[in-house]
Amino acid sequence: MSVALPIPGFPGRILAVTLPAGPGGTPVTVGGQNALPLLPEGEHPNAPAVGMEVPTGPLELPPALAEAIGPFAGDPVAMARKCAGDWGARFLFLSLSGCHPDAGGQSVSFGAAVVREVLSATPAPVIVGGCGDEEVDARLFPAVAEAAGRPVFLSYAEEKNHRLVAGAALAYGHGVVSWSPIDINMAKQMNLLLADLGFPPDRVLIDPLTGGLGYGMEYTFSIVERIRLAGLSGDAALARPVLCHLGDAWKAREATDPSEGTWGDVGARGPRWEETTGLACLAAGADLVVCRHPSSVARLSGAAWR
Amino acid sequence: MHEPLFSACLRGAAAVLALARTTLADAADRRGNNAPLAYPDTAYELPVAFGLTDLRVATLGDAGKVLDLAETLVRRGATAENALDAGAATLLAADVLGALSHEKGNPYPPPAVGFVPDSTLRKLGIYLVDGSVPGVAVVVGKATDPAAAAGMVRQFQEIGLLVFLAGDVVAQLDAQGVKLGEDFKTFPLGPLPAVIHAVNFAVRAGLTFGGIGRGQGAAMLSYLGTRVKAFVCALGPLDDVALAIAAGAMKAGLTVLSDQPVPEIPGLLLSRPAGDEMVRAGMEARGIKVKMVKVPIPIAFGPAFEGERIRKADTHIEFGGGRSVAWELVRSAPTEEVTDREIVVDGPDLRGLPAGSVLPLGIVVRVAGARMQRDFESVLERRIHRIVNYGEGTMHVAQRDTTWIRVSTEAVGKGFSLSDLGLMLYAKLHADFENIVDKVAVSITTRLEDVQAGLAWARAAYAERDARARTLTDDAVSEFYSCTLCQSFAPNHVCIVSPERLGLCGAINWLDGKAGFEITPTGPNQPVQKGAVLDAVKGSFDGVNAFVRENSRNTVTGMNLYSIMESPMTSCGCFECVLAVIPEANGVMAVNREFTGPETPCGMGFSTLAGSVGGGVQTPGFMGVGKHYLLSRKFLGAEGGLARVVWMTREMKEYLGPLLRERATEIGMPDLVDQIADETVAVTPDALVEHLVKVGHPALKLPPLL
Ligand code: SF4
Repeated sequence: MSVALPIPGFPGRILAVTLPAGPGGTPVTVGGQNALPLLPEGEHPNAPAVGMEVPTGPLELPPALAEAIGPFAGDPVAMARKCAGDWGARFLFLSLSGCHPDAGGQSVSFGAAVVREVLSATPAPVIVGGCGDEEVDARLFPAVAEAAGRPVFLSYAEEKNHRLVAGAALAYGHGVVSWSPIDINMAKQMNLLLADLGFPPDRVLIDPLTGGLGYGMEYTFSIVERIRLAGLSGDAALARPVLCHLGDAWKAREATDPSEGTWGDVGARGPRWEETTGLACLAAGADLVVCRHPSSVARLSGAAWR
Repeated sequence: MHEPLFSACLRGAAAVLALARTTLADAADRRGNNAPLAYPDTAYELPVAFGLTDLRVATLGDAGKVLDLAETLVRRGATAENALDAGAATLLAADVLGALSHEKGNPYPPPAVGFVPDSTLRKLGIYLVDGSVPGVAVVVGKATDPAAAAGMVRQFQEIGLLVFLAGDVVAQLDAQGVKLGEDFKTFPLGPLPAVIHAVNFAVRAGLTFGGIGRGQGAAMLSYLGTRVKAFVCALGPLDDVALAIAAGAMKAGLTVLSDQPVPEIPGLLLSRPAGDEMVRAGMEARGIKVKMVKVPIPIAFGPAFEGERIRKADTHIEFGGGRSVAWELVRSAPTEEVTDREIVVDGPDLRGLPAGSVLPLGIVVRVAGARMQRDFESVLERRIHRIVNYGEGTMHVAQRDTTWIRVSTEAVGKGFSLSDLGLMLYAKLHADFENIVDKVAVSITTRLEDVQAGLAWARAAYAERDARARTLTDDAVSEFYSCTLCQSFAPNHVCIVSPERLGLCGAINWLDGKAGFEITPTGPNQPVQKGAVLDAVKGSFDGVNAFVRENSRNTVTGMNLYSIMESPMTSCGCFECVLAVIPEANGVMAVNREFTGPETPCGMGFSTLAGSVGGGVQTPGFMGVGKHYLLSRKFLGAEGGLARVVWMTREMKEYLGPLLRERATEIGMPDLVDQIADETVAVTPDALVEHLVKVGHPALKLPPLL
């Protein structure tokens, strides 16, 4: 006797979004699927992409990261080359954290210059992250948008600043990462607000806020899953690729504290922590993950099949 | 009456077209038809043609085609439609002239800038999208009174508008010492014809920021009409050409204000004297609102101070709270009756009063707005409480005519006055109700006679409002409102807020939901059509079911609004009190969040109970509700209503007080409140039943719950 397997079909499809590359580079296209991740059914034209964060400004790195990326501290251009080259990142997340007043307070024009240099140093697709200070970012995004010689994504637009970030992106042809604090309704509302401004939907990624393993990852898992299910069920405002930034994994004491001898080698613990967080995100449906440790790129890329 | 005006537009259009023809022909003779034609530094060729037609313009020959098309738009007959189309033709021809004049770059002597390049457009456009540049003012012509014109432009600069100038007014303002240039967002374009560069700037804004493509003329006009909040101030006499250009602006939905006695066209062409009145009319016609970034008051102001209490010893002055007459009232009014930002204080103010003073107080906030509704008055009025508490050194308790306000000695020492209080209300009501409020005026009086006279008036308004609230019943309305704010932590929870059942947090009633939807149409409060009534007693509506199903993403497939036993509403976690069934007593108990007792007759204290109720799931027999729901006529309709309540904490009984007795009397059980047990009577089911039997509680005679 044969039993027909109940294969769920979805009416919706996730919008495909392309992160453009510079001359000679490979653009990253994600989305386009009409099924849940890691399942055999449905169409998955684009595998998830794994990228790396390129930090700026002074860094206080936990042991595992100090060893891997410490030598590149203060040289985002060299680090960008390394990430996109040897380390195999398909895209870069250039974080202008150095412009934050509490993290050295590099000037806005300095931040914009870093963007320009990184973009000319590598053709890899780039997402530029603000510094997180509301007042500085309000000046930073327009400056970055103007300075970037080729299309990038600006991260991130939230409820408060979305008009400014979207305006800056529209002015120079960039995309935006729309951010919401683990809140499906807010994620939806953000996309409706952007649509209301006339922002092209195929230039928007959803960042649902990613908690690290043990520090809120389960909330992220659930929200990514629900965003994806809503999108596949036909909610166009949520049928967008999802980006998970794994940086929070490095805030866990388990990932960084060398004093706990019984927990094993801290040099291995950190990357493991980030990988595990990333694997959960991929299983939940993330289309882009941003990691900090080079070893995570390879491990997660290996897992990023559909 | 408008015919001469329309005829003038047609004549003007023909004149501009003829000029464009000859100028183009001259250029073609000189350079050949294939010579390139373009503005410097733009990706949009001749922007007006790019935005409104599907003609591509790269050469002088191509420009000829634009003029051919423009000619077809100039028709005979002095009608409004013909005049507006002639206006569009004028803009097309003027843009050709503009481009021709830029053959060797900016043709005008400084300070005039001519064509504004894309790079500037991109930079400034961000702030138009962002709203920090709230609109665009185009000032053209020759001012009769240069000082008045200068005053106007300075006002625009202060508000942060983008300003374009064309005509003699450029030199006049320069002479008046008005600051010109990109830093001041004020662009002196050149002589009158250069006004076309304001037009092609606006068109390019639509192309760059509005997602509008080449030749989408209708979309472009609608973008200019609704998104670019621009108006034109035309100073001095208007000749045919000026009128034709003005018609073009009107075609795009812009408002033109003239200081001449022109025949008005509502919304499009207005006659106003240059100066304040013109500024106000232009801003109003285009719905430009000025955002107050920082409220200019001498004390700190923000949510951080909301919880601050001001003790008696620190109080410099107080109003109300039983010590004096005090009341507050929000009234909506027609827009012409409210002057925005008018703050009037009548009677003694804070300065100079001895510490410990008590004064009477009447606060009237008058608001106007196209989407304001009388029903929202109470929503705005309740916000006064929070706004006053936002001040560092100001405290607000209660509402309406029981209001109680204290101002600290420190705040008065910093120079805080009642007009600052007015400013707080003004700024915050604008900010919080941006979508429904266009104008806010505050008047505050501390003169006893006025306060007393106003009290009667205010009470009449409260009474009118209450009467209206009584007519707002679940049966009378066709839509309820949802609230999904709590989905951030209870993913599938949906509150359905009806006139007779408020949100379970107690903070959102039906009117709040309604206002919330107007304020943020994409937000957590959405209208929910009741649809067909499936069961009026249980509160089952097919529209509600469909909404809950969709918004709980299929996890809650149906919900009865008035039942605790059968498909009750889900609970998120922020309920004011929990209802729980006590099977032994055939009734329900109610325990409020503040109750700290370890035990209730169901065997759990509040926090244990709360833990088992929340999370957005339906738990028959348990339900979180807002306290006021107990007073509703629809309270547990399916289970017999208030008569089911067998136990209630003391605190809740006190809180609901006389209203609870009233409601008990209304259902013919005046003794019910005393029959309901509390924690001093029973904390176990056995003791509870014993008590209920003794007092003859009606729940014992109701049909069995289980
Ligand atoms: S509890 Fe209050 S805030 Fe939460 S969803 Fe219900 S009405 Fe909205």
